[in-house]
Amino acid sequence: MTVLRDYATALAQPALAGDGPRGERYDEVVAPDGSLRTPWKGLAELAVGLTGADLDRVDGDISRFLDDDGVTYARPGTGGSGSEAWHLDAVPLIVDAATWAPLEVGLAQRTELLNAVLVDLYGEQKLLAEGIVPAAAVLGHPGFVRIMARASAGDPRPLVFAAADLGRDAAGEWRVLGDRAQAPSGIGYAMENRRVISRVLPELYREAGLHRMEPYFWAMRSALLQSANGDLADPRVVVLSPGTHSETAYDQAFVASTLGFPLVQGSDLVVRDGWVYMRVPGRLERVDVILRRVDAAWSDPLELRGESQLGVPGLAEAVRRGRVRVVNGLGAGVLENPALLPYLPAACERLLGEPLRLESAPTWWCGDRGGLETVLDRVGEVTIRPIDGPADALAELTREQVIERVLAAPHRYVGQERLPLSQVPTWQRRGRRGGEMRPRPITLRTFTLRYGSSYRPLVGGLAAVHEETGVGRSIASKDVWVLKSGPGDADQGLAEVMSLTSVRSVAVTVPRILEDMYWSGRYAERAEDLLRLIIATHTVAEDYKTRPGTTGAVSLGVLMAAIGRLAGHRFDDVDEEFRSLLLDAERSGSVAHALTGLWDALAGVRDQLSSDIWRVFGATDRAAEALRTNPHSHQIAESAGRALTGILSLQGVTASMMRDPGWQMIGAGRSLERALQLCHLLRATITERRGLDVDRTVLTCVLQSSESAVTHRRRYRGYVRPASVFELLILDIDNPRSLAFSLQEVRDRLAAMPSSTGSSRPERLVADLIEEVAAQDIAALVAIGGVGRPNLEAFLDRFVVQLGRLSDAIAEVHFASGPPPRLLGQLVGQLAAQVPLVQEGP
Amino acid sequence: MRYRVSHRTTYAYDEDVTDSYGIAYLRPRELPWQRVDAYELSIDPVPQDRSDDVDYYGNTTTYFQITEAHTELDIESVSDVEVSVPVYDPDALAVPWERARPLLTDVPGAWAVTDLALPSPQVDQVVGAREYAASSLLRGRPIGDAVTDLMHRIHAEFEYDKTATTVTSTVEDILDKRAGVCQDFAHLTLACLRSHGLAARYVSGYLATEPPPGKERIVGADASHAWVAVWLPGPDPTGPDAGQWLAVDPTNDQWAGDRYVTVAWGRDYGDVPPVKGVIFTEAKRSTMTVAVDVAPVG
Repeated sequence: MTVLRDYATALAQPALAGDGPRGERYDEVVAPDGSLRTPWKGLAELAVGLTGADLDRVDGDISRFLDDDGVTYARPGTGGSGSEAWHLDAVPLIVDAATWAPLEVGLAQRTELLNAVLVDLYGEQKLLAEGIVPAAAVLGHPGFVRIMARASAGDPRPLVFAAADLGRDAAGEWRVLGDRAQAPSGIGYAMENRRVISRVLPELYREAGLHRMEPYFWAMRSALLQSANGDLADPRVVVLSPGTHSETAYDQAFVASTLGFPLVQGSDLVVRDGWVYMRVPGRLERVDVILRRVDAAWSDPLELRGESQLGVPGLAEAVRRGRVRVVNGLGAGVLENPALLPYLPAACERLLGEPLRLESAPTWWCGDRGGLETVLDRVGEVTIRPIDGPADALAELTREQVIERVLAAPHRYVGQERLPLSQVPTWQRRGRRGGEMRPRPITLRTFTLRYGSSYRPLVGGLAAVHEETGVGRSIASKDVWVLKSGPGDADQGLAEVMSLTSVRSVAVTVPRILEDMYWSGRYAERAEDLLRLIIATHTVAEDYKTRPGTTGAVSLGVLMAAIGRLAGHRFDDVDEEFRSLLLDAERSGSVAHALTGLWDALAGVRDQLSSDIWRVFGATDRAAEALRTNPHSHQIAESAGRALTGILSLQGVTASMMRDPGWQMIGAGRSLERALQLCHLLRATITERRGLDVDRTVLTCVLQSSESAVTHRRRYRGYVRPASVFELLILDIDNPRSLAFSLQEVRDRLAAMPSSTGSSRPERLVADLIEEVAAQDIAALVAIGGVGRPNLEAFLDRFVVQLGRLSDAIAEVHFASGPPPRLLGQLVGQLAAQVPLVQEGP
Repeated sequence: MRYRVSHRTTYAYDEDVTDSYGIAYLRPRELPWQRVDAYELSIDPVPQDRSDDVDYYGNTTTYFQITEAHTELDIESVSDVEVSVPVYDPDALAVPWERARPLLTDVPGAWAVTDLALPSPQVDQVVGAREYAASSLLRGRPIGDAVTDLMHRIHAEFEYDKTATTVTSTVEDILDKRAGVCQDFAHLTLACLRSHGLAARYVSGYLATEPPPGKERIVGADASHAWVAVWLPGPDPTGPDAGQWLAVDPTNDQWAGDRYVTVAWGRDYGDVPPVKGVIFTEAKRSTMTVAVDVAPVG
């Protein structure tokens, strides 16, 4: 039996099916008589043929693809560090052309209405004056931004891009649960879902005859370019992000890179004379349109939330003067107020002179006496929520507490009918037994764009899968397929738009981006070097950890101490220590810590990079997962090896990058870190003499972890002596692992920076270091004094300090973006705590 | 009365400020009882960008940006104003206070003042304020009496103490400490009135002070001041701003008369600070000095 048939059969026997009130819920795939619904009929042969084994495979493929693309979503409340993997279900929501058509008209009208409402609320306010919308419903919402409600700030089309969340009611009609206008997210995830599904279900995707999404992005790009005020030949558009810790950072970067607009943060922009500029080293580049993903309240610390570090001081002024276009307009967030929903039909009649086509889920504003009575009568049946908070904000409260809250400030609450929603078969994993298909309720997020003079919905969307109860946060997403009415239909109904194929994201080199590039190089190298050291040390440990007092055990002690110099000491048990070094991201200096640093740095420049780069983390995550689930010691070397392979694949990605300043900085960071790690390693291992046998074992390990063992063997025929090791690792300008070579790399990369003068401080410092290395005499370096090699020791200590200075100098010259903004009159005399030099981060 | 008001704010920093953005609310408003004959705002260093605008509440604002490095910022306004005692319609003052609640009244135009009957960022809905105000807002009491009584009580029961509160103090802090400055008393009064559904606004301005008997007036000893105004629904309102606003000063226990120069109003202090700004600097410390002088003229 195939999965879909099983599903249909189970639906017909509700008593056997187990969970949920499915009798009243509209099924998107199976009609009440047990037959497949129209959009699925055409796919019956392919879809019905899918077996459980197929879907288990597809489900696995999806996870892998999403991992490789580094798709994340931080759930609200988990903060930045709680970046979660994005979940995508294999079974798409499929909508046929006939069902979609009225929805499309409804969405276009609704968005046009919302734009008109926005214009009215920030202008004439006739909706309020005539009592069509109660004033308190609007003015009590924090999304009403008074600094934009001025005669000077008039914007006839403040709403460029809107989203809506829809669900089906008991009759199977789509109803709007809420509108999104502040900074709608999700279209990037929708596109990523499509990419993945088209790869894992290629036959189904090909046969379905669905609307491709790409043309919509072309339209979006064109709409943003046309949003510029005035008649500019080549307007500059940027995507303003709150940063990598934003829960939808992936979506933002995806949209930016797909549209070919730079992804910037508030600190990358500056207002001068009422114009907005991007801080490119050496000059300011004017910005004409900002696609805003920062909430209005955080967009301008001068006039809005003063503590915001995400905004641009003076931005609101620039907007009011018409010198920059912000999309959506500052203040559009007022449309997300659910208290508006009951009044939209009347507003539609008043502003557009038409009846509202796409209705909202029945909603009552508690500031209205009748609304309050209805809601209080039905506490428990309706969802009661604050007008400016999430739908489940009151979920934890008792009935009495909810009533008390509402009565204390009725105008701050609404009640909304809980729609039954519709259900779609969803693949549920069940561990080793393979998955099964279960009906799960879904909501649909739609997107609508102002394109030319009208609003156009995306023919498609993003479906959210919910727990059986239908409330609460979504547990997965689904791709949404809208089928064409015939093969001749243009994708998205957009035959005329220009293709984006010629669009390349312009490499932007604001200081923040250079800094992230530099640190991604440093963290990648740090992770690589430690992995190599762990692998080499683990081999020694395997042989000697149970044989105390032997040469090997003493060598192991030396090597563990070298690791300790880089990452501290946690566990006496060697295996436990290795596991912690590989897995504990909280442990400064660990591999996991370096990988987290690498992820953060890369996430800050996600739009500048090939998505291939995220495969690195797919590989390292899988290696870590294998280590967590396998207690055997050999898994340590195995996982470290696989993680190393992942890290090394970065080289392949950076090799294909444009040789722009960002690339130069990755290389500079990488080489500087390599030099620094080498100095630490040598300092911790061979400045002290411990007897011939121990020294030889240690030196061999040092050569291995410096990837120079083969060269050494070839050149010195296996005699591992300090002099030959130093020659190869410190002086040899042909060995890419040597100090001399790494320093030359840093020099060359710095010289290739556009702001290079040949005599800037970092260039001078690195030239001095190169000279000093060249002047070293091996015999003098290896010279013995007491139990150690004092010359070498002094040399390495000096280099560790000098490399730190070099890094600081690079930061000062290339990453400085000036002091941070502070509120006038609120200066505090506090110095940022200095982090120890050894393993510093940005 | 005619006054020349000068208001000078000076910021000094221990390091260069390389970029300074500011907003000033310093221009006195034109009102039926207040005429502005002259107004000048000087900023030093001279801003490379400066522009005036009128905000949501009809106040004049000045935006400025200084990109010249500086360690001292000087903002001085000089205004010539003529103020008379506002005249209130006795019928409006006699309206039972319950009828002055914009959310519940059927007076046309009430919608336009709804904004000022709702909680605002610095004037939250506080149960304590509601309870405190209840003994003044007795059933059916004329609004003029009720508000005046509340003003008397706040003046009598709260102590003027500059050390009791800070700029970030909340209405609850003020209720706890039973002390504060004019801004705190204004916020407290607003919380009291709004929690009962009345519309009231925060008013920022100046009060001309009398020199002690036999002493010369000391120039610069005055301060900027704050009080509140409560909405009185007019008997026959026509415009959107129907009705009048009874301005009372709980700090000095009096209605705002011809010694009060009105500069700006909004929901609370945050809407109309005399000067606010964002600076870019490595400075660790700054000092601010304010000198206000309200000098009677002619």
